[in-house]
Amino acid sequence: MSSKKRSTDKVTRRDFLKVGAVAGASAILAACAPKATEPAAAALPDLTSGNAIPMDELVAAAKTEGELTTIALPHDWANYGEMIDTFKAKYGTKINELDPNAGSADELAAIEANKDSKGPQAPDTVDVGVGHTANAMAKGLFAKYKVSTWDTIEMKDPDGYWWAEYYGALAFEVSKPEIENSPQDWEDLLKPEYKGKVAMAGDVLKSNQSVMTVYAAGLSRSGGDKTKAAEMGLQFWKEVNDAGNFIPVIADQGTIAQGETPIVMEWDYLALANRDALAGNPETEIIVPKTGVIAGPYAGGISAFAPHPYTARLWWEFIMSDEGQLIYLKGYAHPIRFNDMAKRGVVPADLAAKLPPAEAYANAVFLTVDELQAATTYITENWRKVVYGE
Amino acid sequence: MGITNEKLTVQSKGDAPMARPPRKRASVVNWLPLAPFFLFATMFLFLPSISIFIGSFESADGGFTFNNIIALFTVKDFINAYKASLTISAITAVGGAVFGFLLAYAVVLGGLPKGLRTFMITFSGVASNFAGVPLAFAFIATMGNNGLVTRWLESAFNFDIHAGGFTIYSITGLSIVYMYFQFPLMVLIMAPALDGLHQEWSEACANLGGTSWHYWRYIAFPILIPSLLGTTILLFGNAFGAYATAYAFSGSFINLVPILIGAQMQGDVLFNPGLGNALALGMVFIMSISMIGYISLQRRAARWLQ
Repeated sequence: MSSKKRSTDKVTRRDFLKVGAVAGASAILAACAPKATEPAAAALPDLTSGNAIPMDELVAAAKTEGELTTIALPHDWANYGEMIDTFKAKYGTKINELDPNAGSADELAAIEANKDSKGPQAPDTVDVGVGHTANAMAKGLFAKYKVSTWDTIEMKDPDGYWWAEYYGALAFEVSKPEIENSPQDWEDLLKPEYKGKVAMAGDVLKSNQSVMTVYAAGLSRSGGDKTKAAEMGLQFWKEVNDAGNFIPVIADQGTIAQGETPIVMEWDYLALANRDALAGNPETEIIVPKTGVIAGPYAGGISAFAPHPYTARLWWEFIMSDEGQLIYLKGYAHPIRFNDMAKRGVVPADLAAKLPPAEAYANAVFLTVDELQAATTYITENWRKVVYGE
Repeated sequence: MGITNEKLTVQSKGDAPMARPPRKRASVVNWLPLAPFFLFATMFLFLPSISIFIGSFESADGGFTFNNIIALFTVKDFINAYKASLTISAITAVGGAVFGFLLAYAVVLGGLPKGLRTFMITFSGVASNFAGVPLAFAFIATMGNNGLVTRWLESAFNFDIHAGGFTIYSITGLSIVYMYFQFPLMVLIMAPALDGLHQEWSEACANLGGTSWHYWRYIAFPILIPSLLGTTILLFGNAFGAYATAYAFSGSFINLVPILIGAQMQGDVLFNPGLGNALALGMVFIMSISMIGYISLQRRAARWLQ
């Protein structure tokens, strides 16, 4: 038996060498291939300056790629479904959508893991929480590009490595059959009538949305003082919890419909989309609190290792154009260029009317990347200690 | 539920402990059908365990460190999490064992109609696998603040279950939820053990003038005790590793080890895989001890089931 085994080994080894030779040959071929196409590449517009590429050139360059790889774009989140379909129809591009439920950290990990790969697992563009841009830039994961509407974008990296595309404000989603008098501000949540009725849409230790829920309440208490917001936010939620008002169930459409979580804090565009999906069963009311209105912007970026760099830039040109920005608005997300578009009168009145009143957003507070990171660290490290007293 | 299945195979295989046949050298061909199992076990059990072990000694920037392991014994949050996990596992294991045993006894030896037994065993098979998000939602929808049962008690009997400070979102509440899959598992495993009590033993006891008490005290219970204890340990492990149920039920409100690991590994916010791995290593350690206990007790139990 042992001699038989040895002979098998030999064959395997020989096979292995053969395979190795083939692999080596193909590697050489592969190494040659880029050289052959170089003349064509030279004709394409420059990517290194980060300046906007004229649309006709960009469209032509994107045509040679014909494909775009996106990640973490749920179709019911900020109307990304329509965004993707419109882009496909307009430019005849194939869109390869990676995991729609990935979180911001996963998106950056996907870029990093596929640095050396041009395959279908390498995302061209990402849409991440603004706080994650610092990490992405430190690791050199983003390429700079300033879209043609750059000047009217209100929140962005000065060098063009990322820019906000849309934002939402934290709002109360209130299930009407359960709650007669809707809370109007954060302090209202402490009222005895809301005992066991106040929930968050995520776990503070895991979700950025819930960290911001803590922060926003604190901002309301501190009268807008950002330095005290994190601490006072924890104190506020401790009181909500001590009063028995906080219910630790993580709210989603199911628990809202069933009535277990009648008051939920979440981004207004998700709450409004929920309202549409629930279609009156139950009736819900979306309220932007009077004080402590926190804006949650998302940031767009292009992978520094994008397999389809021109299509990626075209994607952002489209999204940051009036047309793309209005698609966000249809999904109840506030486009970042809203003020510019409103000034020029290109926001259709019926679209604007579906949002909570514009005054509610007037004093929305935007956090810088540093402020976001500091608040997140403080809140997650102290949440359990302060709120649950552990 | 892999644990249960393994357990059942051990039982039905019936390795005669008294007289082992002389061992034959197994040929490679005989092992071949097991290859998929070994492949599966390697990929989903051994490799992840090794990666957990290695990852436990990795710092956030990829270097070697003991800090993660030290943190297990020093950070209050982690100690509390182990305490809570152990408490809830112990409560539901013992509770599940007692109720499950009584139920299994009633079904197998209680002289109930045959149909009821089939029904109970089938139900237990289904219920012991009912866990995760659906189970959590089922309890939220029935016993939550706005649950069907809560509301019905209020309207029909004017009884407020929250009056005494009780809330379903607590260790007690979560224990009730866990019991839903714990005691059916006990029924499933204890039913064959009770079947293994031969009629002749109780008859022999009666012939020698023993009472029912004597029979249980000196015959049935000593035979059953390895099964009982073994299954209790199994229930303990079953609850100890549960994650989805607890998370869907109340997020990180109840500080359990699996929930803490989840926050370290995949959160938007906290992110320290090394710590997550160290926490998991602690769980693997505790689970290994309970599995060793289970296997050795099961060996003893198997003797009487021939």
